[in-house]
Amino acid sequence: MNYPVWQLGFPGGLLIAAVAVLHVFISHFAVGGGAYLVLTERRAYARNDSELLGYVRHHSKFFVLLTVVLGAVTGVGIWFTIGLVSPEATSSLIHTFVWGWAIEWVFFFVEIAAALIYAYHWDTLDRQTHLIVGWIYFVAAWASLVVINGIITYMLTPGRWLETRRFWDGFFNPTYWPSLWIRTAMAVGLAGMFGLVTAMRESFALRERVVRWAGWWLLLGIASLLPLGRWYFHDFPSYSRAYFGGMYPDVRHALLGAVVCAEVALILALVCGLLRPKLMNPLVVTVLLVAGIGVMGAGEYLREFSRYPYVINSYIYANDIRVEKVAGIVANGVAKTSPWAGESADGQHTYGRELFAMECGSCHSVAGYRAMRKFTRGWDGKFASEMLLHLPVVRETMPPFAGDARDRAALGSYLASLAPARPSGANEKEIGQQVFAIRCAMCHTVGGHRRPLDLKGTDPEAIAVMLGTLGDISSDMPSFTGTDAEGHALAVYLSNPSSSH
Amino acid sequence: MNLPIPYADPMPLPAPVWLLRTLLLLTFFLHVLFMNCLLGGTAIALVCTMRRKSSAFSARLAGDIGRLLPSVFAFTITLGVAPLLFLQVMYGQFLYASSILIGVPWLAIIGMVVLAYYGVYFFSMNLATTKGNEQKGRTTVALTLVVLLLASIAFIYSNNFTLMLAPERWLDLYHSHTSGWNLNWSEPSLLPRYLHFVLGALAVAGLGLVVMGLRQQEDAYREWLIEQGSLLFTGTTLLNVGVGFWFLVTLYGPARLAFVGGNGFATALLGIGMLLPLAAVAHLIMAKANKSPKRQLVIGIGCGLLTVAVMIVMRDVLRNLALAPNFNLNHLPVAPQWGIILLFVILFVAGLATLYYMLRKVAIATRIQVAAAKNP
Repeated sequence: MNYPVWQLGFPGGLLIAAVAVLHVFISHFAVGGGAYLVLTERRAYARNDSELLGYVRHHSKFFVLLTVVLGAVTGVGIWFTIGLVSPEATSSLIHTFVWGWAIEWVFFFVEIAAALIYAYHWDTLDRQTHLIVGWIYFVAAWASLVVINGIITYMLTPGRWLETRRFWDGFFNPTYWPSLWIRTAMAVGLAGMFGLVTAMRESFALRERVVRWAGWWLLLGIASLLPLGRWYFHDFPSYSRAYFGGMYPDVRHALLGAVVCAEVALILALVCGLLRPKLMNPLVVTVLLVAGIGVMGAGEYLREFSRYPYVINSYIYANDIRVEKVAGIVANGVAKTSPWAGESADGQHTYGRELFAMECGSCHSVAGYRAMRKFTRGWDGKFASEMLLHLPVVRETMPPFAGDARDRAALGSYLASLAPARPSGANEKEIGQQVFAIRCAMCHTVGGHRRPLDLKGTDPEAIAVMLGTLGDISSDMPSFTGTDAEGHALAVYLSNPSSSH
Repeated sequence: MNLPIPYADPMPLPAPVWLLRTLLLLTFFLHVLFMNCLLGGTAIALVCTMRRKSSAFSARLAGDIGRLLPSVFAFTITLGVAPLLFLQVMYGQFLYASSILIGVPWLAIIGMVVLAYYGVYFFSMNLATTKGNEQKGRTTVALTLVVLLLASIAFIYSNNFTLMLAPERWLDLYHSHTSGWNLNWSEPSLLPRYLHFVLGALAVAGLGLVVMGLRQQEDAYREWLIEQGSLLFTGTTLLNVGVGFWFLVTLYGPARLAFVGGNGFATALLGIGMLLPLAAVAHLIMAKANKSPKRQLVIGIGCGLLTVAVMIVMRDVLRNLALAPNFNLNHLPVAPQWGIILLFVILFVAGLATLYYMLRKVAIATRIQVAAAKNP
């Protein structure tokens, strides 16, 4: 609202997710892989195993090509992307943590220098110094995780920072420690996983030795995820722990995906890594990589989802509007608040679309991901504009709508235009069921767990009368704006829903 | 007219302006040196690769540059992160807005950097694995692509850093393409500014050749490097004087006036900025006639580097002049986080010490190896 909105045609959050998942996958490998390199090198010296040493040398080149190039550049890429999609939040993070980032930059610098020296000076440096450079790399890489972890976890649980605005209160926030260790465990697991990738090009005998060794890393990393994940989850804000109760299909699927991927990785690490290393082949490694991305992607998704409706908890909403600014925008309207809202140059529809981009577009698309068309099917403009008053009640994950009555009317009419439909059916009950789907199902269920409506046996006429007074029943309810016939059909359905499926 | 300038972040600046500005300019200076060597170096490597059949020194230079490029690329990026951080904390309200308006090309930079980076590695590794010319075609194509990518990245940067200074153009751009498919074409100073910086990059890369020459043991190659480097620096610098004037006349009125007498500091900078490169050129030319030219070459290189530093300060002055009607850095609230700043300084020094330790170990080990190779 303060900034122009980059209108991609799909939610900007998806773009952040795409860049971020690629980055975290590689950057966690960059941390754990550092320890893997040095410990494998030491193991090769201790066992006088020249083949294993040859493997580490080759692995170090692969490591640099992946982490120093793609890992580092996608890290900058996240920064570019969040600045484009959530400039307000990015600006806030930078102002709060600029010195944290500056410190991370020092580690980043040392990390890159050490990685290049480690990978390209096997023949120049003596063994001892080469190992020291490797350790410098690992310490710097892990230290950069130590720093960035404070900033990422702050967004979910800013803790005392909300009152004090002090750097360290935001940094060492309630989820700092569990997140640090869960990320470290992931780094260890990924070190093993990528160790297997380069092992595939080695001779059979060596491959078996490396697979067993890397298998331990993978097993250790993945197996630690479960207890650490529980600890992490335990420190989540209570409001977002409720999201895991089964109400949100997105969360259910991500959770299931994470667990399945972790289990697959665990079983493959155990069977094809430790028990029968001969079974480890490029196909299994590919499955492991996919599972690794699955765990990582689902984990990051769940963390981000848990932040809803905020991008920085209790400070900035997911649509990049500051919590403290909402009341002012509601009082004065978007057109007077945002310099970017083109005051209805070609009518209300255009203005409504702009408002959609500003307030909804960071999470919703019109027809694709989290499609609004699906949610607003059959809505009329008045109903939609009233729904906008109750967004946080409709979904706990939604920010309140920031705008005045004119803004709500404009956005409402735009939303209503997305998927116009009239309830239809063979009989009144079927029509009523559709009216229910359009007007009530966003918040209520019939015979379900979420805000159940149990009006079975009630006289349809009494229900129809009640529909005219919804605002009196609860201030969180929009008025019924359908026709009398639709109201009656809804009443018929609610009075006897069971025979209908 | 009401300009759509976003309000500044309500959080105060976490450090005094002088400190943030110093760090911005210092880290940007280092970034520019590496970036110039990268852009200029790949261009030189491309020419050398194409000439490597006819010139043994060209072939050798392509190899020498190829070995350096991956590290130069790594440090160009690493050193670019810091100034971007400090720029955002001070000028975020302008930079985020302009970045979003050119969102597509701006984000494309990331993909282009990745491609160019792998292109550089491809070139570097091909040099290591093939002695002959059989890979010439492929490396030439890869290097051409890298040069084009780097030049395009620089162009996108020029677009964003001029657009962030021109809020009067924002709304039109926004309403023409909300999807971020924009560039700042209507900026009169865009092309001369871009050319000025790219020519500057070639000039600095020329100085890089002179430095490489000074470190060479073998006389003929050493002289060739110094000659080629001096030629490149002199040619591009003289050309750049003209482009610089073009840049100056296309500047927004008050800013231009400031540089030609309106503002003492800005005018002095312009004067020094014109004298220094000429002094550098003079020393490089004098060195050619001198039997022991090292001193003059070093002074020439020094003047060249000082020119870069002066240009960077001028660029900063220009930014503040252009923003002056709408923004004053010194009016932003400040609440320094001294404790963390101190921690940063300590870690920064420790980081430099670690870097020194590693580079020294490599230097010593390399020297021992070279000596051993000479006296087997």
